[in-house]
Amino acid sequence: MNETLFRRIKDLPSTHLLGTGVPTCAGCGGLQALHQIYDVFGEKTVFVNAAGCMTLLSVYPFTPFRGSWLYTAMGAAPAGAQGIRDALDIQLQKGQIKKEDDLQTVVLTGDGSAYGMGMSATSSAIERGLDFVYICYDNEGYGNTGQQFSEATPHAARTSTSKGPQGYPGYKKDLFSIWAAHKPSYVATVIGAEPLDLARKIEKAKEKQGPRLILALSPCPTGWNYDPKESANIGRLAVKTGIWPLKEYEDGKVVHTKIPHKRLPVEEYLKLQGRFSHLFEPVRNEEILNGIQERVDTYWAEVDEG
Amino acid sequence: MTRKLLTGNGAAAWGARLAQVDYIPAFPITPQTEIIENLGNWIDNEGMPARMTTLESEHSMITAAGAAAATGVRVFSATSSQGLLYAMEMLYTVAGWRAPFVLTNVSRGLAAPITLEPDHNDIMAARDCGFLQIHCADCQEVLDSVLIAYRLGEDERVRLPVIVNLDGFYLSFTREPVEIPTPEAVARFLPPYDPENIRFSASTPISQAVAVLGGTPYSYFRYESHLAAQKAQEVYDEITTEFTEEFGRSREALESYRTDDAEYLFFQIGSFATKAREAVDRLRESGWAIGLIRPRLFRPLPEKHLRKALAGKKGVAVIDQNLAAGRGGVLHSELGSILFSHANMPGILVSFIGGLGGRDISTEEYFEMAMVTREAVNEGQAPPPRLLYTETELREVEKLQAIANMERIELGAKP
Amino acid sequence: MYRIRFHGRGGQGMKTASRILGTAFFLEGLEVQDAPRYGAERRGAPIFAYVRASHSLINERGIIRVPDLVIIADDSLVTVPAAGVLAGASNQTFMLISTSEKATTWSHRLNFTGSILTLPAPVEVEDRMELRFVGATCAGAAARLCGIINQTTLEQAVHDELTGLPSTVVEKNLEKALEGYTLMAEHEGCVKEAAMLSSEQYEIPEWINLPFEEASISAPAIHSSLTSELMPTGLWRTMRPVIDREHCKKCWWICSTSCPDGAINIDADNNPQIDYEHCKGCLTCVTVCPSHAILAIPEHKKPTTEETDS
Repeated sequence: MNETLFRRIKDLPSTHLLGTGVPTCAGCGGLQALHQIYDVFGEKTVFVNAAGCMTLLSVYPFTPFRGSWLYTAMGAAPAGAQGIRDALDIQLQKGQIKKEDDLQTVVLTGDGSAYGMGMSATSSAIERGLDFVYICYDNEGYGNTGQQFSEATPHAARTSTSKGPQGYPGYKKDLFSIWAAHKPSYVATVIGAEPLDLARKIEKAKEKQGPRLILALSPCPTGWNYDPKESANIGRLAVKTGIWPLKEYEDGKVVHTKIPHKRLPVEEYLKLQGRFSHLFEPVRNEEILNGIQERVDTYWAEVDEG
Repeated sequence: MTRKLLTGNGAAAWGARLAQVDYIPAFPITPQTEIIENLGNWIDNEGMPARMTTLESEHSMITAAGAAAATGVRVFSATSSQGLLYAMEMLYTVAGWRAPFVLTNVSRGLAAPITLEPDHNDIMAARDCGFLQIHCADCQEVLDSVLIAYRLGEDERVRLPVIVNLDGFYLSFTREPVEIPTPEAVARFLPPYDPENIRFSASTPISQAVAVLGGTPYSYFRYESHLAAQKAQEVYDEITTEFTEEFGRSREALESYRTDDAEYLFFQIGSFATKAREAVDRLRESGWAIGLIRPRLFRPLPEKHLRKALAGKKGVAVIDQNLAAGRGGVLHSELGSILFSHANMPGILVSFIGGLGGRDISTEEYFEMAMVTREAVNEGQAPPPRLLYTETELREVEKLQAIANMERIELGAKP
Repeated sequence: MYRIRFHGRGGQGMKTASRILGTAFFLEGLEVQDAPRYGAERRGAPIFAYVRASHSLINERGIIRVPDLVIIADDSLVTVPAAGVLAGASNQTFMLISTSEKATTWSHRLNFTGSILTLPAPVEVEDRMELRFVGATCAGAAARLCGIINQTTLEQAVHDELTGLPSTVVEKNLEKALEGYTLMAEHEGCVKEAAMLSSEQYEIPEWINLPFEEASISAPAIHSSLTSELMPTGLWRTMRPVIDREHCKKCWWICSTSCPDGAINIDADNNPQIDYEHCKGCLTCVTVCPSHAILAIPEHKKPTTEETDS
């Protein structure tokens, strides 16, 4: 592996490539990750988008991109990336465009598309060995439509379609493993609250070829119900409690890039978010809280063994 | 100049080959699969310099087609029926991108109940999406229409994707003599694709297909797409004039067969319309003043040409091989709306619906449709739409139903 | 028919306000039509809501073109063209603004010939969630201005609209609604139902035949970069982060990396600079600064000479 450019925080870019003025919520964890990612990927990119919060990044006539953008449809983005990639390759081959004009195709979707409707197009794109990057900003629900539960919603979360006393009855789908099972070039989990880890992974992804998939947990003040200024804490705690493992899949192996050795209790993370307040008020739901803790404990026990 | 026996699918594939398409996103479905098999074979074994990518669904296929066209290459794709409808969201979407390409649709009836045989419900479902539509009556027209479609869609005044429609089985798998033009002749007619300012490249950043909020800008974009589709009428006329000059074949927006002195007309699209030609010839022999109007161009529907062709005619038998449940035939509705409120238009349109799921329409049925239309003109009133169906057919279905509802009488079988 | 439009920001309870008022009219026996209109569903972004109320069947629909009463819950919206607070306002329109400035100031500033009334803007509080109740105050004020909604009806409407929410929230909304209702006592009934539009004398719509433009112009594509920077999302801000230069250790720009909007950039002297045109006031930078060198101050207390940004 090449030496990373990003050894310390000070190595991170100090000017930002993605424009300001977009109508995402104040404190959006997804936009935070996207800024950091775009800074590393740069403007020789065409972002191919599926329906979700980030669709509103570009509303006519406003765009925050220095590079290019194509909005497709909710389940369609990887197929759009395929078409663009193939067409650029054809143009390069025919000498119709110069090498300098080539673009990295980057799919940008929320969890709604990545975990669900876009699954078929994603699976197929990886299977074809498409040379592209896939970024999923995961705010654990259908955010743009008002935070209904999606297949990325964690157990017991309150969403606008899981308002019962125990919240969402399902469990968060393991998208990382599903992607990794396809044996793509690279898969990584990241979070904006850990910018150095994120930058190194994006740098790595940039240097590889083939399908490279990034899953970014995106704390969401509007959907998770907390004050925007808590996004930073919540992001850090997601990692420190072990709820959001930072890992990568490469050459057939999964490696954790940060192992929280003294894991904080998951409660520290859950209690800051309104979407889990029913687990604490009016009475503590010990059963669910213990269940969440156990699942996290089991996960890390397996990591230790492996 | 080579004249060969080709199937409709083969002719479509030849059209794409001669048009020197760059990119073919593909997905198989009966009855179009032979098109992509031909092209795949030429790419693999005969040095056709194109790239074919098989996507995992038609929804993805059309997305890839539009995205590649929006990047700046010439794209060809093909589908039918369920596939066309699976892609429906993306048909509207890519048309709105104003990135042109050609999609061949091999018409097939829609589920439910599922069938493999042809009718026009699939292509009619796509009539509002923004794609232009050219409908073919024979295999030669299929090849010619693909070339015309590229000229038409890529014209800077149009810039819309185009569907070339051919009937499943009756054209797709039927061989007819087709003249395959030389590459030189095609090159004279069809220049390389110029994407203008709708393309992706690092030196010209562009945000395409962005979200629009507000009825005012949204209406602007939709109206302009429509105006471009309307403009395609005059562009089509220019192009087909050139086509005739280069290749000698007429490909006018309307085929007007023996219409000059006609009092009555058949109105039909697609391959079965040649049966209407046949019926016209036989009816003329027994003294009828009758002709056929067959639109080749269906989107946009050539309004001016239609009003001119129909002026002074007494009655029209409109034959729809499609059925809008609860309404009737699409051609019938559309023709009515074009003629109404204009002077000197035929007062009688009679609606006939047939051919669904490949059901044949016999020449006798054409004779009878002509009779009914003449009666309607004499009475000054059109009868209700006729769903073409015979006594014999009903008995046939009743026999099938008897089997379907048969009680199980074997011993030991549980009820 | 009463035609009332509320303007506010996401998170200020405009939808609730329109529903409280709508319900109140309904309980008084009128036909009602109320609805919110979103720009984008974002906290802080301008939204408006409207209420129609009439003693006969309401056939009108959609946006209110000529309002009798315009309520502006956040006066920073008045200068935002996209918020459209003045749309359709005539010299017959009443405007109620939640503001710390005087009505006469607004009249002059807007060159407005209708009547302007003011509600005192909520005092900036550390807990920005207080702003959620502005809508209730506005609804209460609107109820009094229309003159036909009595206090018990208003209270009932608040209860009806907020069923299921915690009692503290309901109580707070009630308190604020009654506050608004009381403040408008001397103007009770001054908003009257306007007459219906006449078909004898109307402004002829300026219909055009839209000119055809080629796709190189008329495709929904943006041929420029960074045009989003024209959007002053800084107007969403209610709290402002301010860097204390004495304590800023130029720590390699943790604030800059963490800002979700990329609104903190580093200048030539290695100082982080906040772009106040675009900073939405999420205060992430305040939270992450390791030296606690960034402070949050209420926006309306911002210094008159601002730090310049690049």
